[in-house]
Amino acid sequence: MDWDCQFRGACFDGSDMSAVLHPVSPAIQIQDLRVDYGKFVAVDDLTISVPAGEIFGLVGPNGAGKTSTFKVLATLMEPTYGEVRLAGIEIFEQPEAARRVMAYMPDLAPVPSDLKVWEFLDCFAEAHELGNAAQRRERIEECLDLVSLADKNNVFCKTLSRGQTQRLVLAKTLLHRPKVLILDEPASGMDPMSRRQLRLALRNLAADGATVIVSSHILSELSEMCTSICVMNRGKLLAAGSVEEVRRVLGRTERILTLGVVERVDEAVGWLQGREHVAEVRLAGERIAFSFAGSARDQAQLVSDLVQEAFLIHALEEQRSTFEEILLDVSGSNAAAAPNLPLS
Amino acid sequence: MSDTPPAFPPSSPRHWWSNPIFRRYARSRLRPQALMAGLLVVGIIAAFIYFGVRTGFRYQAHMVEADAERAVLVPLLIFQAIILFLAGTGQVAAGITAEADEGTLDYQRLSPMTPLAKVLGYVTGLPVREWCLFGITLPFTGWALWKGEVEAASWVPVYAALLSSAVLYHLTGLVAGTVVKNRRWAFLVSIGVIFLLYTVIPQAAKFGLVYFKYLTLWPVVDENIAGMMPREAGGLIRLAKSLEPDVRFFGLHFSEIAFTLFTQIFLSLTFGMMLWRRWRRAESHLLGKAWALGIFAWMQLMLLGNALPLIAPGLLFPSRQFNRRFFREENWQPQVSEAVVMIGVYGAVTLLLMVVLTLIITPGTEQQITGLQRGRKLGWKRLPPLSDPASSLWIVVLMAVAGAAGWTVFSTQLLGSEWFAGHQLVPYASGAFLLVLLGGGLICQGVLEAWGGQRFFLVCVFGAVLPVMVGGIVASVGDRSLTAATWLAGVLPVASPVYAAVVLVPTVDVPRDVVRALPRAFWFWQVVTALATGWVVWRLREIRQARRALVYKEDGRS
Ligand SMILES: Nc1ncnc2c1ncn2[C@@H]1O[C@H](COP(=O)(O)OP(=O)(O)OP(=O)(O)O)[C@@H](O)[C@H]1O
Ligand SMILES: [Mg+2]
Repeated sequence: MDWDCQFRGACFDGSDMSAVLHPVSPAIQIQDLRVDYGKFVAVDDLTISVPAGEIFGLVGPNGAGKTSTFKVLATLMEPTYGEVRLAGIEIFEQPEAARRVMAYMPDLAPVPSDLKVWEFLDCFAEAHELGNAAQRRERIEECLDLVSLADKNNVFCKTLSRGQTQRLVLAKTLLHRPKVLILDEPASGMDPMSRRQLRLALRNLAADGATVIVSSHILSELSEMCTSICVMNRGKLLAAGSVEEVRRVLGRTERILTLGVVERVDEAVGWLQGREHVAEVRLAGERIAFSFAGSARDQAQLVSDLVQEAFLIHALEEQRSTFEEILLDVSGSNAAAAPNLPLS
Repeated sequence: MSDTPPAFPPSSPRHWWSNPIFRRYARSRLRPQALMAGLLVVGIIAAFIYFGVRTGFRYQAHMVEADAERAVLVPLLIFQAIILFLAGTGQVAAGITAEADEGTLDYQRLSPMTPLAKVLGYVTGLPVREWCLFGITLPFTGWALWKGEVEAASWVPVYAALLSSAVLYHLTGLVAGTVVKNRRWAFLVSIGVIFLLYTVIPQAAKFGLVYFKYLTLWPVVDENIAGMMPREAGGLIRLAKSLEPDVRFFGLHFSEIAFTLFTQIFLSLTFGMMLWRRWRRAESHLLGKAWALGIFAWMQLMLLGNALPLIAPGLLFPSRQFNRRFFREENWQPQVSEAVVMIGVYGAVTLLLMVVLTLIITPGTEQQITGLQRGRKLGWKRLPPLSDPASSLWIVVLMAVAGAAGWTVFSTQLLGSEWFAGHQLVPYASGAFLLVLLGGGLICQGVLEAWGGQRFFLVCVFGAVLPVMVGGIVASVGDRSLTAATWLAGVLPVASPVYAAVVLVPTVDVPRDVVRALPRAFWFWQVVTALATGWVVWRLREIRQARRALVYKEDGRS
């Protein structure tokens, strides 16, 4: 395809994923990670490395192996084999040192039923040796402010709502200023406001040099939040890189364009049907919708040509095929190809 | 957030009270309202015991004041033991399962404390309310000790043993709560263990397994209770006690308290190590293979060390204690049947111990396959034989050998003593003992490793529980069916040590039908067991090879 040639230089080459993503001293380095549950391979020779300061998204359908990978990163589970370094620390050799620099937020994060919010946080503030009682209290208040739970300081954890619980656990995760944050679906159950806060908090952290690895089912949100992502399915890495690169590697560049013209609508439809890269032209209400598979330059050319043809354009909108669709495709086609069936 | 994090002052060395896990539970379990209610109830009960007993003895039994005060001590001790042993242990087991249930245990796994600090945090933190409740009873005890003029030499060992037992039981609760996933079951299991310890184990101790009684408070209380009772009653006990002086361990003598502490600390350390392993790696077995073997050998040594010195003076025999208490015959003589039962019980307990350790060290299917995968990646030819995923077959064989050796020593010494002049163990006894232990042990091991825990459970039900029940029913039908019952019960692995004892010690007075049926039943079932063992070991070998092939096949794939 056309775009393929044009972008080959920057194109993400699936055969050598490490080349693009691996500059010096990555904050998270996963090498040949494998996790088995008996005969079932949940994570299959996964290699990822994330430079410091990135917000790295892990995307994949249910059962892709995201949680399994995260549990290994968090030193909660021993993998079958593989090497993991967090901020330069070999986590299986020095789990306690790794736990000092890292924080993990499990999906459906639980809270103890018999503690108050500040007691829950203080327990971990103590474990991380965050100073004396006053210093710890200050830090706890800071973190609660960050997730807008300051007013819940003195209530029992079990009385919080789902989203509040999630935010509380996020506050716990931030407590000791970890260098590496491992967040498993942190946004689940949060309302739009809290998600925005989460996004801002993560950006701030990343700006301070922390590295975040996050998984989510709300993928559009991941693409807003993350500096780079990787797509996983059935334990295997399918693509990694910036959102654009991943899109390209997975071969999903066509998008739906909708065009609003003031007059000569039928003529415009006819004109479009003859163009390169254009397909499926149809009328959607007042507008013309068609799918477009060219590059950004091609798209610019198309607009310019439309103007030259003296069509009166009042709107042009682009709907990329969403990540959800990409993933649906990916998991669908992979299920058919079944590259990673259990070894039975 | 954007400025650089301030450096926190270097933390002072941690004391146990500043252990975050301890403090977490000190907060949640010592909330004023609940604590006050608890303290009030316990305080009232303690006061009731104190004043009730004291007044009763002082004015009804007309004792002098000091004696009346002393009379209070034992009831209070029982109350304290209930608080610490039962309530405390149950609380520990339930508390740790609750954390696992909720999922918050993972947070503790993640906190950067050493595994040891975590174990200590839980074992001190979870029962913290019970310790407080115990504390509120202490003023009563203290007052009674002072007013009753009880010597420190009497009460210090008792309370030392109380504390060490409490810690041991709490650790037991912690292990139970770590292994049993269900909150209610963990609670019941841990309480059940304590209950067994105080009901069944003392009975087992009467049949030669003296060692186990040092897991309880009894020996120390026995030794020191005289000083804590009203003087009249105390005198009698002291006299009785002087007949059985101190603890013997082979040629050595210990005081009861020293040996109790020694035993309990050893077991506490073992439990502590199990928990440490689990905190370090959630997937680990509770015990490594070498440790399991070591502990098995150690237990044999302890059982023998406590039992053998008691043979010559006749102290080991249940009938002697019985005689002393009820008949007081001058020329008491142990029965041969008694020795047979003791030998049987020794074998059964050895076998049970072996099965428990086998359960701990045998890898499951998943674990073994994962281990093989790792081995393939790292280029190992075979799994390191002592690693968790490696087969436990050889360890079980070694345990059987060690167990058979201990069993043989016990039997030989027992029958070789002057009590049983003229009786002898048949020369091939040690071989038969080994056969019994190998059969039971390897079938357990093989079924567990090849097919997993559920199949093992089924085998237990069909191989052990059903025959006993059916045998019991058949036996109760009438004398003639005794033969059939004998045959049926013989299938039971735990019965075979007893059968072995009966068969291998000639001239025993058991019912005629049984005498005729028993040797045949024993050897028949031994042959069956041996065949079954062979089959299981062979199947296990095949299954292991299949697993290996499965894993290494992938080499071709990739
Ligand atoms: N404890 C376990 N025992 C057996 N299989 C497991 C276990 N945990 C996970 N799996 C399997 O491993 C695979 C990966 O699970 P994992 O939880 O890592 O997926 P995930 O990507 O986090 O999925 P989700 O998006 O639903 O959270 C799944 O197919 C799951 O069935
Ligand atoms: Mg998940």
